[in-house]
Amino acid sequence: MTGYLGLVWTIARKDLLVEMRTRERLSAMAAFAVLVPVLFNFAIDTGQVRPQVIAAGLIWMTIIFSALLGLGRTFQMEHKDSALAGIIQSPIPLDALFLGKVTANFVLLMIIVTLVFIVFGLFFGLRFTGGSLTLAGVVTLGVLGLVSMTTLLSAIAARSTMGESLLPVLVFPLVVPVIIYGATATDRLLAGRPVAEVSGNLRMLAAFALVFLVAGAVLFPFVIEE
Amino acid sequence: MSNTHIRWAVLVLGALGVVSVLVLHWMVFFWVPTESTMGIIQRIFYIHVPAWWAAFLGFGIVALCGAVYLWLGDDRLDRAALAAAEGGMVFCTVGLLTGPLWGKVAWGAWWVWEPRLTLALLLWFIYLGYFLVRNSTVNPEQGKRLAAVVGIIGVLDIPLIHVSVTWLRSLHPEPVVLTQGGFAMDLDRMMLATFGVGLLASTLVFFSLFLARYTIEGFEREARLRNANLITADGVEG
Repeated sequence: MTGYLGLVWTIARKDLLVEMRTRERLSAMAAFAVLVPVLFNFAIDTGQVRPQVIAAGLIWMTIIFSALLGLGRTFQMEHKDSALAGIIQSPIPLDALFLGKVTANFVLLMIIVTLVFIVFGLFFGLRFTGGSLTLAGVVTLGVLGLVSMTTLLSAIAARSTMGESLLPVLVFPLVVPVIIYGATATDRLLAGRPVAEVSGNLRMLAAFALVFLVAGAVLFPFVIEE
Repeated sequence: MSNTHIRWAVLVLGALGVVSVLVLHWMVFFWVPTESTMGIIQRIFYIHVPAWWAAFLGFGIVALCGAVYLWLGDDRLDRAALAAAEGGMVFCTVGLLTGPLWGKVAWGAWWVWEPRLTLALLLWFIYLGYFLVRNSTVNPEQGKRLAAVVGIIGVLDIPLIHVSVTWLRSLHPEPVVLTQGGFAMDLDRMMLATFGVGLLASTLVFFSLFLARYTIEGFEREARLRNANLITADGVEG
């Protein structure tokens, strides 16, 4: 791959390689994604509430918490030895750097999301029958929007003295559309409703992802500049 | 505008603002007729809705000044954004406090997950994030840039949040003055006048606060700069 996309891929590949060798973020996120449904199971009186009814909401909360856990460290790993300063000084345009980071984070979170669905399906006896392709679409678009926004905000958090503790305060209010459209669509698809019922959700999730992918690429240089 | 001009503007706008707030309260409590279906509690509307107007106005200025600040890097734009954010936060809080007072009577609950209420709460938290980001960087110049980015993201997200929470459910009374069919002409004239005074009062108070804060922030930055210069030039002057 050459040109702009090649640059984006260079950054993404570097991040994924580092992740594959250290497995720092992936292992923490994976353990988290398995432990959260375990805790949910104890926190909810399953005699009163059928877990299947609230599974969609719990799944999306787990996805967002895992994203905060892992993506909050996007810029931490390059903090050592001023590695980030080196990348900023390289001839890669800053928006390509952002899109590369988003790509790597997206791959990472999609692995975790797959795990989340498997674990929830196993623990709470969910059945992914008809509409699983649409469900994959809902999750892909939702995660892309979530990742675009969280990557930009984690760059902001990394620049502040509050660090990662700032991230939830910034992310939670802004990510509400993803939760609403993602969870309702997942809920309907898990309940076996027709695919046509979630086409509006898909469009809104796509709009969210597009807005914050573009806004992130445009605004990122102002965040990362010293 | 020089500082003397701004100081005069603050005084005049502030005085007019205080007078209009007093007039508004007189109108709300003694003059305007009681609404027939909701009763006496509806009177809070003349304070509640104008507060939201000022809160959204503040956020609009925050994002606009933030975007132009990122572009031009003029410090005055950042001061304006900060002043608007603080003014907006005040009115956002007023709106959030008066809403539940009305809701307790009209809906029978302090809090209802109704779209506009939800958006209001989220807006308050976006403002909070804005201030946290601004005040938590080692380099204040960087804090200004980061805050501008948060402000812009917030404004981009507000329509999406609005659409999503409205889509989820709706209980809030629909707009009565500016309806989808245009300006409501059948509204009682006294009510309309009171509402107008409410909007005027909140706008005047907002801009007097805005200008006052803008000027003070200017002085503060100048003082910091002078202090820094004194310290570096200590050997020469002392």
